[in-house]
Amino acid sequence: MVTAMKKLRPVSRRRFLKSSGALTGASLLRISAPSLVAITQAACTAKDEAAAFNILGVQEAADFAAIAARIIPTTETPGATEAGVIYFFDNAFAADMSWALENMRAGLASLNATLAANYANKSHFSDLDEMDQDAVLSANETTDFFELCWLTTIFGFFSMSKYGGNKDHVAWDLIGFEGHHGAWEYPFGYYDAEYAKELSHGE
Amino acid sequence: MASSVTFDMRQPVDFAIIGSGSAGGIIAKELSTAGFNVVVFEQGPYRKAQDFTHDEYSVLFNSELLGGGPRISGQTFRQYASETAESPVEQPIRYAQTVGGSSVHFTANFWRLRPVDFNERSLLGSISGTNFADWPISYEELEPYYTRVDWEIGISGAPGPYDAPRSKPFPMPPLPIKSSGVLLEKAAKALGLQAQVEPHAILSQPHNGRAACIKCGYCMFFGCEVGAKSSTLAAVIPAAEASGHCEIRADSAVFRIETDEKGRASEVLYYDADGNEQAQKVKAVIVSANGAETSRLMLMSASERHPDGLANSSGFVGRNLMFNAHSAGDGVFEQPLNDYKGAQVSRIIHEFYESDEKRGFYGGGGIDSRPLWSATPIFHALMGMPPDVPRWGKAFKDEIAHNFTRQMSIVGSTTSLALDRNNITLDPANTDQWGRPSMRLTYRDHDDDLAMAKFLQDRAMELFDAAGATKAWRHPIHPTDGGEHLLGTCRMGDDPSTSVVDRYHRSHDVPNLFICDGSSFVTSGRGQPTMTIMALAFRAAHHIKIAASAGEI
Repeated sequence: MVTAMKKLRPVSRRRFLKSSGALTGASLLRISAPSLVAITQAACTAKDEAAAFNILGVQEAADFAAIAARIIPTTETPGATEAGVIYFFDNAFAADMSWALENMRAGLASLNATLAANYANKSHFSDLDEMDQDAVLSANETTDFFELCWLTTIFGFFSMSKYGGNKDHVAWDLIGFEGHHGAWEYPFGYYDAEYAKELSHGE
Repeated sequence: MASSVTFDMRQPVDFAIIGSGSAGGIIAKELSTAGFNVVVFEQGPYRKAQDFTHDEYSVLFNSELLGGGPRISGQTFRQYASETAESPVEQPIRYAQTVGGSSVHFTANFWRLRPVDFNERSLLGSISGTNFADWPISYEELEPYYTRVDWEIGISGAPGPYDAPRSKPFPMPPLPIKSSGVLLEKAAKALGLQAQVEPHAILSQPHNGRAACIKCGYCMFFGCEVGAKSSTLAAVIPAAEASGHCEIRADSAVFRIETDEKGRASEVLYYDADGNEQAQKVKAVIVSANGAETSRLMLMSASERHPDGLANSSGFVGRNLMFNAHSAGDGVFEQPLNDYKGAQVSRIIHEFYESDEKRGFYGGGGIDSRPLWSATPIFHALMGMPPDVPRWGKAFKDEIAHNFTRQMSIVGSTTSLALDRNNITLDPANTDQWGRPSMRLTYRDHDDDLAMAKFLQDRAMELFDAAGATKAWRHPIHPTDGGEHLLGTCRMGDDPSTSVVDRYHRSHDVPNLFICDGSSFVTSGRGQPTMTIMALAFRAAHHIKIAASAGEI
């Protein structure tokens, strides 16, 4: 399937997100506290499964997985790691979003190249602890690279499992979306159920 | 997929209909079941109900039904003629390329126009700098055809306090009220306003051999997998094909209408599925390709006889494009609405439909409540977040998890004034996948359109407050940079110098060329134009049949 963003540079895509209001919250970011529940590093998961990747190398997969894991972190509930978002990255950059692969690799390389100055002996994003990862992402929040990581993470987390992420519908379960079912009966929610009760009492 | 009948390209077919959507599908059914031979050209593929999915990534973000994004489908945008138009990432002109056209993917909100929409210029007077005008027909003239749409296409609903007169009741009861509808209704009451039932082109009960809605919630931008949405694909194209007089020629992208030495349309030139040029000889042509594609085709069909484009002696082809401006506020409530289930809208407010000089500007509009972007998860995460929430990390995740089932939007849709500067022209620098010049969209709303959008957003925020939202916020109102409603670009009128088609949709310049789709509109209505496009199509077909039978085409 042809993608709308296939032939376009991230800067154009950002303009779209800006014009559509999706970037509204950008300037108000605050760094979230380290998650309460200890989690397995996204990088480890990615490395274990490295053989399954279509196009990503082990190290870059570990870095992308770590970025995705900060955008949608594992807390008391599953995050990008448990959803297997890195497999969406891998599938997408091999197919639908192959136009972005080069930009993504270049963006990751530039980001990694800045690490040594602030973090001794660290040359990969996935080597940092979560607090440092968040600081690095905050500093890079306005870059096209971050935008693309952000968009790809959301696509991977919430799209159908067949694309590689949203494993066992964990993302849909998280938000209460029963989208894998097909048909519904009324009432759907709290307020229409109450309304129906009021109507029946009034009769 | 081939139709049961195919027509010889070298023998003139009675009618070539370009476009299989809201208008084209209905005209095809009306003419073919009356015994006329019809070829319907559709540039998209022939998808059937079973081909439609709930795949948000593919449908909303990979342009599955839209033809593949702005570069592929050939669209560029600019605000003013002084700028160079560019291909944005999001397709500015969003119409489905598939048999049934945009009636397949539309949200199925289904409003009749009201009498005032047809003669508002007479009632209010002229508006300087605009092409604000009356329609050449009245509501009363169109009413019988609205009623045919109700019953033959399949509409669910119930009368509202401000409805135009109707000659028959709704054929089906409304779809159930949702939590968003309950909240809007209660808030309206608290503010002294009256909410009413939203009519839908969706079957609430089995009708005409079709199944009822299963309330899956995938209406807006998706195709209906049970055929309960009253697209022309579900409602009329099967009957057209069963007539034995209608060939649906899918994957066929028309690029030119040829005229003969008498100045009559004689041939339709198109690219077939393999990209090869083909030519269909015709006795008459009906263009129902939508307000953007129809304009492009007319302009591409320029010749020595028609130097500014076919049927364009007035210069009005492509002009007066009207999108309906929109505004939205979002609100979150304490309890789950689960508004992603069922059709988007269940209640509307039409108290602000008519223009009111006390507001200080021209315009009117409608308000509805719906999940909007909170009907599907990706859209919600990208578009539905409050402005004070971080864009990533735990707080972002928590907000999505909490809000998805508890959020709704209150949407305003407004009039758009007809302006010379808002138009479709041929892009001199870009082409689509077939090599046709890209459609160049030039659009900047009239200030009154945006003022009306703001006015409705102010009401939306009051409604959220009255409904008890725990949090509510506005989405910034920007000038419209694209849309689904493609209105006004080949307007109907009695005066050939200020309109493209006459009151029966026959072009003023070419006697056997008819145009019927959103381009025929003279004013924009207040949003939800599809029902009127369908009613115009029934009416146009009626008069075309009479003319054809009398040998007057």
